[in-house]
Amino acid sequence: MIGSIPLSDVLLVSGALFSIGIAGALLRRNAIQIFLSIELMMNAANLALIGYGAALGTREGQIVVFFVIAIAAAEAAVGLAIFVALFRHTETIDVNKINLLKW
Amino acid sequence: MTAGRLLFDLAAAGAIIFAGLMVVGRNPVRSVLSLVVAFFALAACFVMLLAPFIAALQVIVYAGAILVLFLFVLMLLNVGREQPEKTGRPIQTVLGSAAVLVFAGLLLGMFRGSGAHVPMAADPVEPSLLGDPAALARLLYSDYLLHFEAVSVLLLAALVGAFVLARREHAS
Repeated sequence: MIGSIPLSDVLLVSGALFSIGIAGALLRRNAIQIFLSIELMMNAANLALIGYGAALGTREGQIVVFFVIAIAAAEAAVGLAIFVALFRHTETIDVNKINLLKW
Repeated sequence: MTAGRLLFDLAAAGAIIFAGLMVVGRNPVRSVLSLVVAFFALAACFVMLLAPFIAALQVIVYAGAILVLFLFVLMLLNVGREQPEKTGRPIQTVLGSAAVLVFAGLLLGMFRGSGAHVPMAADPVEPSLLGDPAALARLLYSDYLLHFEAVSVLLLAALVGAFVLARREHAS
């Protein structure tokens, strides 16, 4: 329990958000939407970390989330740079049409 | 049901609804804006879970910086709506949906029983002091100093990497 919120509810919300994220990453074809889904999955993990940290009574969960946010920022910058470079070559970011490495 | 519980439930429901809208929508700009709303709702959840500093970071860094960067790249590339697939790839869609359903079932089934009996830490922090920025900063600059420095080097590497990747290649 964190205040009056049971930890199992927090984990349920986190699991639901992660599942939505994985659905987006597997079923969408727009590279940017796949990337957004990955960000959503990171946030679902952050929610579980903060929930457990608060339930355990430690600050370590928040520290880990701090690092996750920093790494997500780095990942977003590099990933979007890749999309810009890719778009310059292929004029599309539809992942079904980008098959340079397929065969 | 207390006010804190009610606020958490409302924020969590909002986050799930707008995350769903993000995945379902075909217009990428609308997807990004839905995710901004979902991240704001998640920040409210973080406040209810006694982490106000992380909630502020969530709004400033995630909703403020990262998603604005997404929006900027979307506008730069001028990506239109996702066209409905003409060739049709039914096997991929069916297998992908099945994988998502199996994964969601496993994850939620695993989480359903857990979290009921979490032992407290040996010296639990006072709940009102859990999100104290000064205490977090002290922890970050003492016990986690090496990790902090490693992240700063990583951010520098990402900066240089993004610059090199997105640079226009001149014919040499």
